Amino acid sequence: MTAAAVHAGGLADHIHPEPQGFVRRYVFSLDHKIIGIQYLITGFVFFMLSGLLAEAIRTQLLNPNGGFVAPQTYNEVYTIHGSAMVWLVVIPLLTGGFGNLVFPVQIGARDVAFPWLNMLSFWIFPVAGLMLFSSFLMGAPTAGWMEYPPISLQGAAGTSMWCAAIFLVGVSSTITGINFVVTILKMRAPGMTFTRMPLFVWGQFATAPLLMIATTALAAALAALFIEREFGVPFYDPTKGGSPVMWQHMFWFYSHPAVYIMILPGFGIISEVLPTFARKPIFGYKLIAFSSMAIALMGFMVWAHHMFTSGLAPFLQLPFMILTFAIGVPTGIKIFSWTATLWGGKIHYTTAMLFATGFVALFTIGGITGIFLAAIPFDLHVHGTYFIVAHLHYVLVGGSLMAIFAGMYYWFPKMSGRLMDERLGHLHFWLFFIGFNGTFIPMHWLGMLGMPREVATYDPQFTFWNRFETFSSYLMAISILIFFVNVIWSIRNGKRAGANPWGGRTLEWMVPSPPHYYNFKHIPTVYGLPYDFSQPLPYQGLDEELTDSPPPVAAGAH
Amino acid sequence: MNPGTIERLGATIGGIIVAVVAFYALYKDWKSIGVENQVFKLMLALLGLGGILALLAALNVVGFAPKGS
Amino acid sequence: MSVAALAHDAHGEVDQLYLETRELRLQGFLLFLVSDCVLFSSFIFAYLYMRNSGQGWPPPGIQRLDVAFAAWNSVVLFGSGATMHYALENFKHGNFMRYMLLLLATIVLGAGFLGGQAYEYNHLIFGEHVTWWGSGIFGASFFTLTGMHGLHVFIGVCYLTVLVLQSAGGVYTRGKFFGITAGTLYWHFVDVIWVVLFSIFYLL
Repeated sequence: MTAAAVHAGGLADHIHPEPQGFVRRYVFSLDHKIIGIQYLITGFVFFMLSGLLAEAIRTQLLNPNGGFVAPQTYNEVYTIHGSAMVWLVVIPLLTGGFGNLVFPVQIGARDVAFPWLNMLSFWIFPVAGLMLFSSFLMGAPTAGWMEYPPISLQGAAGTSMWCAAIFLVGVSSTITGINFVVTILKMRAPGMTFTRMPLFVWGQFATAPLLMIATTALAAALAALFIEREFGVPFYDPTKGGSPVMWQHMFWFYSHPAVYIMILPGFGIISEVLPTFARKPIFGYKLIAFSSMAIALMGFMVWAHHMFTSGLAPFLQLPFMILTFAIGVPTGIKIFSWTATLWGGKIHYTTAMLFATGFVALFTIGGITGIFLAAIPFDLHVHGTYFIVAHLHYVLVGGSLMAIFAGMYYWFPKMSGRLMDERLGHLHFWLFFIGFNGTFIPMHWLGMLGMPREVATYDPQFTFWNRFETFSSYLMAISILIFFVNVIWSIRNGKRAGANPWGGRTLEWMVPSPPHYYNFKHIPTVYGLPYDFSQPLPYQGLDEELTDSPPPVAAGAH
Repeated sequence: MNPGTIERLGATIGGIIVAVVAFYALYKDWKSIGVENQVFKLMLALLGLGGILALLAALNVVGFAPKGS
Repeated sequence: MSVAALAHDAHGEVDQLYLETRELRLQGFLLFLVSDCVLFSSFIFAYLYMRNSGQGWPPPGIQRLDVAFAAWNSVVLFGSGATMHYALENFKHGNFMRYMLLLLATIVLGAGFLGGQAYEYNHLIFGEHVTWWGSGIFGASFFTLTGMHGLHVFIGVCYLTVLVLQSAGGVYTRGKFFGITAGTLYWHFVDVIWVVLFSIFYLL
């Protein structure tokens, strides 16, 4: 099956005219790469805002009777911090940001299946984000990002605004999910079978159905909460026949798959970065690919492990415990595969590689505490304490955020044509790594000693470690400032990167940096996996215009 | 003839017609290919099921009957 | 008859670009229907969960729903599903007049269903004083789910009306008629959701 016969006259040959004018090119762009950058910029803006909220939390907790903010305000702060980080930062950065930016080029497509819907998806996002933050002006929600009734039924108007904002950003997610599923199913280059796809694409392919299906379940829960608050229609109020536990079921049925939405693309990023900088094929390609799909599927079966203290009958809780233990297995398979990838490789300690290896270490810790929490007797003891806060930040910050940083350092040259500064990058990594661990390790034992989460004060016996955590968090904040300085500086002044500064082998490195709006003059044909470093590149029919960059480096020659 | 009886009569006749039409269309299109035709076949089957349920409800075989009807 | 066989343009050549984009649109639309299914399923879960909370059903003070009327109204909607199916069949076979008549019949029956729902709501709200917000979980679940469904039917009727106008204007040809296919899929979907809702509210 030659490339010419398959798609003659079809999408592969159809290059639309270049968009004209600033607005069509950079504001209302249909180009997935521009939309990806828009998501990244917007996501990082919300990241900074939400990070300020985090520092407000830590500053309040310097002293047992903090006095930095009023207790009610503290509750608003951690609620919006959690909501923003989940829905306005991690999910958009990983799916809308890196997803849009990279995987269509990696599969040899010119764009996603529905570019106009992609643009709509993006523009909903900053609007929804502004709505969420505007809730501070009308009495922000105070019941934590989980907003359990009956407290969420009683909150000020900001809680209804929270419902509407999250509902809206959920619509954006759902559309993106549909877009990505169809793109990956239907728009891969000739010869790119599923088992020749880059692992980042597998990560997005596992995530997209979750975006589509799980988010809609949340939309229903939020809509019900909204109409109960605004019109008095009873769903969750026990005095009117409703059930608070029902909210928990509906909320967690989405929010558990949501945590997989927040990590599966990250797994994909790590699976790209590690082989490139170890100059070795990824170990266990099929293991990683299929375990991602297994995690996506099983993610729908474990939601009640967030509800072990809600009074469910034990015979109902047990299957969730067992399935939660089981879902650790596919993830563990990945950790072993990544470690085996590094074994015997020639490691290049670029900043992207530092963040990727750091990810493997820190996510493992977070995953292990997750297994602790799967055990009902242990969870009953630490539910609602800082142990949970420690676990979730190890997987979401030590995991997802590190993957986001790795992706930034890795793909920044592809987006902008310039390299980020490596010295600043190393400084960022080490300050971040030290600050992060200093902030979140003590939370494990504070939680086991009984310090509850989502409370503006604490027992004075915990003072020393809280102060330790707060100063460590300031270190993290400084490191993140260094990162942003690096990004902004490098856009103008970074060393010029060619098409393939890292010697990668996936298709995005086979086009100029930044790529043309049409990605490829001719869609190449794919003959194998991208990760076989000792073999010639498995592509035929690539554009021959990469005269300004060295060819990809063979194993051992770097 | 109270309204309830007219409704039941209409539902009985209509249910039969819908079920017959739906299953006949399903039978005729059984061998079609393509994902949209598979979806249509599934929908026709469920439509036929709906017609049967309406018929059974009209005949009081299933469903709550309002008091005194 | 496959679409590929129909997609030849005036010169008898295959319009590859149309075929490929049609495939994308079909998959995207089907996935949209899947997510809409999840939306209804979530509310159906909520209804069944609340109903199971031990109060007995219907809750004290609320009468059982009128099954006879609902059976009749259901048959109206299912009938519209049958007419829509045959409308598409006739279009594919080139019988434009019959297609238009069946499409109009679908719209009339769909609107008739909505009228029936309005009658039922009117009877419940003003006759039996069962309201969305004032009748506990019965009102909450019934009006939310049937209301969502009614909204979907209304949107469907609007879309089918647009189809009538577009078809009269010659937008669709025997080779390119995805808008009609999508409308048929949507209309069947709305029908199937009603099969489920009818069963769980009136038959359970």
